[in-house]
Amino acid sequence: MNSPRTIVLLLIALLVFCFGVAAHLTPQFQTWRGSRAGGDIFNVVLGDSRRMFAQSFFVKADAYYHSGYYPTMFDNKEAFQTQHMAADTGAVSDKNHGDEESFLGPTRNWIDAFGRHFFPDRHTHLDEGGAGGDLSGSENVREILPWLKLSANLDPDNPQAYTVTAFWLRERMHRTAEAEAFLHEGLRNNPDSYDILFELGRLYYEGYHDAQRARNVWELAVRKWLALAPEDQKENKLIFEQITTRLAQLEADAGNVPRAIDWYHAAQKVSLTPDAIQQRIDELSKKISAKQP
Amino acid sequence: MSVILKTHKLRVEFRSREMRQGVKVALNGLDLEVRAGEVFGFLGPNGAGKTTTMNVLLGFVPPTSGEASLFGIDVRQPIARQRIGYLPELTYYYKFLTAEELLRFYGKIFGLTRAEMDQRIPRLLKLVELEHASKRPIRSYSKGMQQRAGLAQALINNPDLLILDEPTSGLDPLGRMKVREIIQRLKNEGKTVFFSSHELGEVEAICDRVAIIHQGELKVVGRVDEIKKAHHSNLEQAFLEVIGYQPQTTP
Amino acid sequence: MKNIFAVAGVVIKELYRRKDFYVLFIVTILICLVMASVNIFNDSKIARYLKEICLLLVWISSLVIAVTTTARQIPAERENRTLLPLLAKPITRMQLVFGKFLGCWVACGLTLLCFYIFFGALSATREHQWPVLNYFQAGVMQWFMLGIVVAMSLLGSLVFAAPSSNSTICFIVIGGILFVGRHLDQVATSMHEPLRAVVNALYYIVPHLEFYDLRDLIIHNWPLIEWKYILLALLYATAYIATFLLGACLVFRRKPVN
Repeated sequence: MNSPRTIVLLLIALLVFCFGVAAHLTPQFQTWRGSRAGGDIFNVVLGDSRRMFAQSFFVKADAYYHSGYYPTMFDNKEAFQTQHMAADTGAVSDKNHGDEESFLGPTRNWIDAFGRHFFPDRHTHLDEGGAGGDLSGSENVREILPWLKLSANLDPDNPQAYTVTAFWLRERMHRTAEAEAFLHEGLRNNPDSYDILFELGRLYYEGYHDAQRARNVWELAVRKWLALAPEDQKENKLIFEQITTRLAQLEADAGNVPRAIDWYHAAQKVSLTPDAIQQRIDELSKKISAKQP
Repeated sequence: MSVILKTHKLRVEFRSREMRQGVKVALNGLDLEVRAGEVFGFLGPNGAGKTTTMNVLLGFVPPTSGEASLFGIDVRQPIARQRIGYLPELTYYYKFLTAEELLRFYGKIFGLTRAEMDQRIPRLLKLVELEHASKRPIRSYSKGMQQRAGLAQALINNPDLLILDEPTSGLDPLGRMKVREIIQRLKNEGKTVFFSSHELGEVEAICDRVAIIHQGELKVVGRVDEIKKAHHSNLEQAFLEVIGYQPQTTP
Repeated sequence: MKNIFAVAGVVIKELYRRKDFYVLFIVTILICLVMASVNIFNDSKIARYLKEICLLLVWISSLVIAVTTTARQIPAERENRTLLPLLAKPITRMQLVFGKFLGCWVACGLTLLCFYIFFGALSATREHQWPVLNYFQAGVMQWFMLGIVVAMSLLGSLVFAAPSSNSTICFIVIGGILFVGRHLDQVATSMHEPLRAVVNALYYIVPHLEFYDLRDLIIHNWPLIEWKYILLALLYATAYIATFLLGACLVFRRKPVN
């Protein structure tokens, strides 16, 4: 047993045994539902708990949007219930109210008053230049992108991470191709997401000026929305109104006025401001009657 | 010869929560005198109070009562330690320093100038036979080399009194011999050496006078040959007799 | 002072001869370089996430170095018995405590300098600017914060028996202060007496380390903080450093050397 030859032979035998067991187990492990091996690094390290961090990084992106001027869990968050960088894309309903400037409230004591000198102290938005205000203008918004990408990687089932990222990529960074690729990635993970389809339609319409592809994508988004359960539809009225309004606009621009009126009627059913939509319908109806001899 | 180390009715008591018995008397009325230029051996079994005496002399432990002085200065004054060198038992010096850096560090504490250190350190390293290893980190030293580096640090201030706590403890015969030679050389240079040891042969070889302490009390003090004569035996047997050791006789 | 400097010199030598700093520095560089190589929508100008990660690593590394280096100083002297020959020399215990503090603090300052030079170089590659004064403010504030941490760990090393328990307690306290120290008074309002009074008292007693965290300001290129507030914060830190050091001296004075 003590001779080196025996030890080497024993080592070889153990290695052969390990190799054999591994070869036998690998196929089973690959088909096992709990296996993390096939996923990305976050999946391997965090498993499903990674989704918990995704929202934190989404909020982190919003904190970056404000150049670090952001409430903590102890501050008044009424004006920050919806992330501003998401609300500013126009695709998310904004639940914020109250004063954005004074989430810290009045100073509580001398320690609090003194401490405020060492934190960011002005409400800014990165797309307007950020804290310095003298860098590269609105393109500063690029700084939120790593956190949004990370958030999407951690929770690929959250469509908002894709739509918000794509909006800023397209709108401020003028990186339409990257935005499109990211939305497609989001669509692969969330094939039924009307949010992503809506943003993709906007990208086609505003970025590539491709009305036909935009129409197709938006109409698909409408079908996906209509497939929702009634209670889910109630909660997601805003996006439906936005999709149908954009479709109506697209049709009106293309000269399909009756079709445009149909879409406005659809939007009117869910809108909080039906009168404004009625006004548009009336305008289009007048156009039709003016054309008729 | 002038007295440079003196204790008078020195008593040390320890109170500790860990000691259920309450108060432990570590030293009880210890009277000692060490004169300039002599090598003084401080003997006693484990727990006799040797290290406590040294701790009092070095200012680590305050005496409960009585007095202790070095060069006529109360040991509680830091200045009393200006002219002494101390080698504790089994010390592991800063592993990341070289012997030379170690000596420079201690030299700075004694307020030596750079020129003084440049002159003194090579001499000390030669004395303790570490000049070849002076640039090597202490972590690479053997136990004997570390002990000799300790001796060098004890001599950095060119002390008049050396207090050595079991300087040969844990060393091999060669290491012990080297340390003994160094002590002998220091004696020849006129230094006063106060040291504790369990190696009675070594004490017999190099000490002018010895004191035997047992259970915190001084039992015997005097010249080695006088003690041997008084007990009609060698130092080891005299020591055993003084501490009251009764050998078990087999029937 | 010569004694204090002599002791401090040995501590500094220890830091640069041990591997701790180099490991943390290399790990920081590697992580930052890996993060810098990540392609984010083909945009090479994105800088702030990189600054954030780098500064986070700098903060973690410097805290680890400060706490672990300080926590082992006096216990190691006792364990290796080097305290005996040291205190047998004309040095007071107070000088030893101050020397240990100074050494650890200066060592932390040197590591911070290395980290900040790397941070500056890294952010300059992306932002093409070098706001030296902002970095100076952030670096000095962090250094004084580490001064409080070092003094606290030194006191802890005399109170707690094992360096590991001291380090753990220090990390928990520091983390707690950095995360909720600023809001302790708000936390107290949701509590009942007497806990409320205790938490409120804690709010006023603990050193507010969060003042010294200027990361957000340099990540997001905020303008400089007014120097008078920086000076006040440094004075505040100095007061806490002095308090902890005096506490350490008091405890050490009563401590047996072996």
